[in-house]
Amino acid sequence: MDPLHQRAVAVIAHIDHGKSTLSDRLLQLTGTVSDRDMREQYLDRMDLERERGITIKAAAVRMEYRAAGGETYEINLIDTPGHVDFGYEVSRSLAACDGVVLLVDAAQGIEAQTLTNLYLAVDAGLEIIPVLNKIDLPAAQPDKFADELATLIGCDATDVLRISAKTGAGVPELLEQIVLAVPSPKGDPSAPLRALVFDSYYDSYRGVVAYLRAVDGHLDAKTPILFMAAGTEVDADEIGIMAPDAQPVERLETGAVGYLISGIKDVSLAKVGDTVTTRPRGAAVPLPGYREPKPMVYAGIYPIEGDDFPILRDALDKLKLNDASLVYEPESSGALGFGFRCGFLGLLHMEIVRERLEREFDLSLIASAPSVGYEIELTDRTRRIVRNPSEMPDPSDIEEVLEPYVSAMIVTPSDFVGTVMQLCQERRGELKEMHYLSTERVEIRYQMPLAEIIFDFFDQLKSKTKGYASLDYEPAGQYSSHLVKVDVLLNQQPVDAFSTIVHRDKAYEYGKTMTERLRKLIPRQLFDVPIQAAIGSRVIARETVKAKRKDVLAKCYGGDVSRKRKLLERQKEGKRRMKQIGSVEVPQSAFIEALKLEPSGQS
Amino acid sequence: MTVAVDSGLRSGLWRASPGFGVYVHIPFCLHRCHYCDFNTYESHGELHSSYVEALVASIEQSPFESPQATSVFFGGGTPTLLSTAQLAEILSAVRRRFGLEADAEVTIEANPETVSETSFEGLLESGFNRFSLGVQSLVPKVLAGLGRTHSGERALAAVAEARRAGATDVNVDLIYGSVWESDDEWRRSLEGVIDAGVDHVSAYALTVEEGTPLATLVTTGRVPDVDPDVQAERHGIASSQLAASGFERYEVSNWCHPGRASSHNVLYWSQGDYAAFGAGAHGHLAGTRWWNMRLPREFIAAVESGAEPRFGSETLSPSERAGEALVLGLRLTSGVVLAAFEARFGDASLAERGAEIDKLEGLGLLERSDGWLRLTERGTLVANEVSCRLL
Repeated sequence: MDPLHQRAVAVIAHIDHGKSTLSDRLLQLTGTVSDRDMREQYLDRMDLERERGITIKAAAVRMEYRAAGGETYEINLIDTPGHVDFGYEVSRSLAACDGVVLLVDAAQGIEAQTLTNLYLAVDAGLEIIPVLNKIDLPAAQPDKFADELATLIGCDATDVLRISAKTGAGVPELLEQIVLAVPSPKGDPSAPLRALVFDSYYDSYRGVVAYLRAVDGHLDAKTPILFMAAGTEVDADEIGIMAPDAQPVERLETGAVGYLISGIKDVSLAKVGDTVTTRPRGAAVPLPGYREPKPMVYAGIYPIEGDDFPILRDALDKLKLNDASLVYEPESSGALGFGFRCGFLGLLHMEIVRERLEREFDLSLIASAPSVGYEIELTDRTRRIVRNPSEMPDPSDIEEVLEPYVSAMIVTPSDFVGTVMQLCQERRGELKEMHYLSTERVEIRYQMPLAEIIFDFFDQLKSKTKGYASLDYEPAGQYSSHLVKVDVLLNQQPVDAFSTIVHRDKAYEYGKTMTERLRKLIPRQLFDVPIQAAIGSRVIARETVKAKRKDVLAKCYGGDVSRKRKLLERQKEGKRRMKQIGSVEVPQSAFIEALKLEPSGQS
Repeated sequence: MTVAVDSGLRSGLWRASPGFGVYVHIPFCLHRCHYCDFNTYESHGELHSSYVEALVASIEQSPFESPQATSVFFGGGTPTLLSTAQLAEILSAVRRRFGLEADAEVTIEANPETVSETSFEGLLESGFNRFSLGVQSLVPKVLAGLGRTHSGERALAAVAEARRAGATDVNVDLIYGSVWESDDEWRRSLEGVIDAGVDHVSAYALTVEEGTPLATLVTTGRVPDVDPDVQAERHGIASSQLAASGFERYEVSNWCHPGRASSHNVLYWSQGDYAAFGAGAHGHLAGTRWWNMRLPREFIAAVESGAEPRFGSETLSPSERAGEALVLGLRLTSGVVLAAFEARFGDASLAERGAEIDKLEGLGLLERSDGWLRLTERGTLVANEVSCRLL
C-alpha cells in the first residue's frame, strides 16, 4: 500500500489500564479477527503473559481499516511491553511508530511508567492521541482525568477521547482519529534498506522471528541481509505481515511493519534495536538508538535439589535463546550448593525468568538476595566489578566503591507526598524535581541508589500510599558510596547466601534484622547456636538460638507404637533434607524465608 | 487381698523376654476431653452390652497361639463406664482363652467420677489388681482448662476409696505444662497425689495432638501453644518432688515406688508381644503390628458377622525392628542391655548405629555403663532427637 495510507501506532498504557482489551476491539472492529475467532488478550502470546495480565514481548498486527471518508488504510498496531524493566524495548517500539495512543484508566489516572513512556513519545516527536478507557466503570472520573491529560499534553480537554474498550464504546472514533492525526511514514523509498528491529523472539520451530519496520528502502524475500550491530549475515528466508496470523509476502515496502525469519537460532544475533540492511551495498549508517541490553540486578539462582543443577543449566541456555538480556555464569555457595549468578534488567525480569524456569522446566529454585553491580577501585588503583557480595575485597584493600544510581519517578496522590518523600529519604534518595500534574496528583523525581530500589522499595511505596503511587526508574550513572559487606555467621561459620553489601549507615539495621529473622527461622539444636552479623571481624549484631530443652513424646504405649515411629521417621526425613552449615542443621525453608523478605527490616 | 510382686517383672527394667500381654480397649467416655486423641466416643450407652458381647466373642475366637498372659490391661476411653459385672465377664473371657500367670498384673483405667469403694471392691473381686486413675490435676483452674468434669477432691477421694477397698497398686495420671497451670500449681498437684499415698505416678507433658479440638484452639490462636521450655522445667519439678518422696522415674513419664512399675507397660517398651481386643486396639507379635477397626459399631458388626475386626497391619524388616526396639527401650530409664539387644537383632544392629551412638554419647545424650545403653537425664528430654538418629 502506498505510504500515504499507512499508519503505525503503539498503545502506551499502565498494566491493567486496558491495552490488551483495546487491541482485541480494534482487531474485531477492523475485521482482522472475526467475532467467531475472537478470544481475550488475543495478542499475548505466552501463557505467562496471559496469566499475569502483562505483556513481555511486543507484537505487531496489520489491520485494514475503511475510514469514514471511504478510503482504506493500513494500520499497524505495535504492542509495547508494560513494565519498567523493559523500558528500552518500549523505546524501540516507539521508534517504529509515527504516533501513539495514550491509554489511561478513567478511574485511575496516568501512572508513573505511562508518564515515562509518554515523555519518550513526546521526545521522539510522535503524535499523541489521549484516550480515557473504562468510562463504563462506576468509579470512572473522566472529567477530572481529561483535565489532567490535557494539561500534560498541552491539548484541550475536549480532545481527550473517552472509550470503553470492554464494551467498544468510542473505539470507532479512536480508529478515525488514528487515520486523521497520525502522520504517514516519511522514510526514503529509494535509499538502501534500513529496517528497525523492535522485537524478536525465539520460536522452537522457526528459529528467531524478528519484528521490524522498513524505515528506508524495502526488503525483498530471499535476499541476503545483515544485522548491522550484531554483524549477523543471513538470508531473509521468509518475510511477512501479521494479520494477526503470519502471512508471508514478497516485499516489505518503505514504512511497512512485518516479520522476518532467517534461520537464526539465538535472539542475541538479532537483537531489539538492531538495524537490518541488505548486503552487499547496504546502508552505511544504522538507525540511531541501538543499545546493548544491560543487566541491572543480579541474583544467585540455585536448584533446591542439588541434582537439578544440569537441568537448570539447560533451562537457562534455552531461555537465553529467547532473551538477549539474560546473562548468567555458574557460581557455588557453601549454603546453597551449585547454581548460577544471573543478571536481569530489573526485578520483574528476574521474577519472570525464575517463574519460567520453575514452570516450564519443572524446577524448584531458591534465589539469593538480589544485588546490583558495584565498581570497586582498589588501593593498587586496579578496578573490578562486584556482582556478588562474596567477591567483595577486604575493606583494607578498597579505595572507593561506586554504586549505580537511578532517576526514579513517582506519581502519587498529593495526600501522600510527605510519606513518599520520607520513604525516598530513608532510601538515600535526593529530591530532584516535583511537579503537580493536577491539584490532586504529583510527579516526584528522586535520584537514588538502585540497590535501595531493588530491596522491596516498590512494595513499600505501594503499601504506604494505599496502592495509589506508581514508580518508574532509569539508570542515572554511578557515584561513590560508603558501602560495606555484612556477613552473617551461624555458630561462627559464615553463610555466604546471607552476605550483602549495604551502605555503612544501614549495616547495623541489616545485621539486626537478619540475625533476628534467622533466630526465628533456625530450629533449636542440641546446643546453643550464636547468630552473628559482622563487618570483617567486627560483630555488629548477635542473637542466640537456645539449645532445645525438650523434644520427647510424652506417651508411647502399645497403641501408639506404629504412629509414633512414623512421626519419628518424618522427623528423621526432615533432618536428612536440612542443609548442614558447620554443625548446624538449617532447613531449606529457613533460607527461602530469610531471603524472601526484604532485608532492611521494614517488612 | 495382696498381690505378690515379682521383682523381675515389676522392676521397671528393660527385659529381653518381657512376657505376654493382653490389651482390651473400651472406647466410651462420659465426656471427651479436648486434648484427647484416643479412640473414644461420648455417650453410645446403647452400644455397651453389644460391645461387651463382641469383645467376649472376639477374645474367644482369637486365633492367637501364645503363652499364658503375664499382664492384662483394660484401657480406654473409660473402662469403668461399663458395669463391674461386664468388666468381670470380659476378664473371665481373657482368663479362659489365654490363662493368667499367678502373679499377673491386671490393670484397669478409671475416671474418678465413675468409681466408688463398692466398685473397686467388685473389681478386685473379679481379679483386677491395679488401678490407674485419670486425675490430671488437683487445681480447679487447670482441671477446667483441660475440660475435666471432676474436682480435685473427687480424684483424691477415689484414691482413698481404692485403698479402703484393698487396692495395693494405685496409679494416677497427671498432665503438666498446660497454659492454665503455674509451676506452683503443678507442685500442689504432685504434693496432693503423693500425700494420698499412690504407688505410681504417670505425669505427661500436655501434647497438642493433631486433629483434636485443642489443636484447633491453638492453631486459631484462641489458646496459646504449650511451651517446651516450661514443660522441661515442670518435668524437672516432678522428678525432684517425686524423688524426695521415694519415687523413681523408670520411664520418660512414669515414676513408681520400687517394685511397683507397670509390667504391662514395660512389656510395650521392651517390644514384647501382646494380643489386643476391641475397637481400634493395637496388637503386636514378632515384628507384626496390627490394629482393629476404629468405630465401635464397625467392630461389633464385624465380630457379629464372624469376620476379623482387623483393619490394618505392618510387618517390619529386621533392621526396622531393631530401630524400633531401641527407640522403645531407651524410653526406659534403665535403657537396654546391649548384649541382649545384639543377641536378638544380630551384631550388625548395633554396629550400623555405632557412629551415631558414639556421637550422641559425645553430646552427652546417651551413656553406656555395665553393658546397658541408656539416655542421660538431658537426653531423656530430647529423646526424639536421639531416636530419629537411631531408627
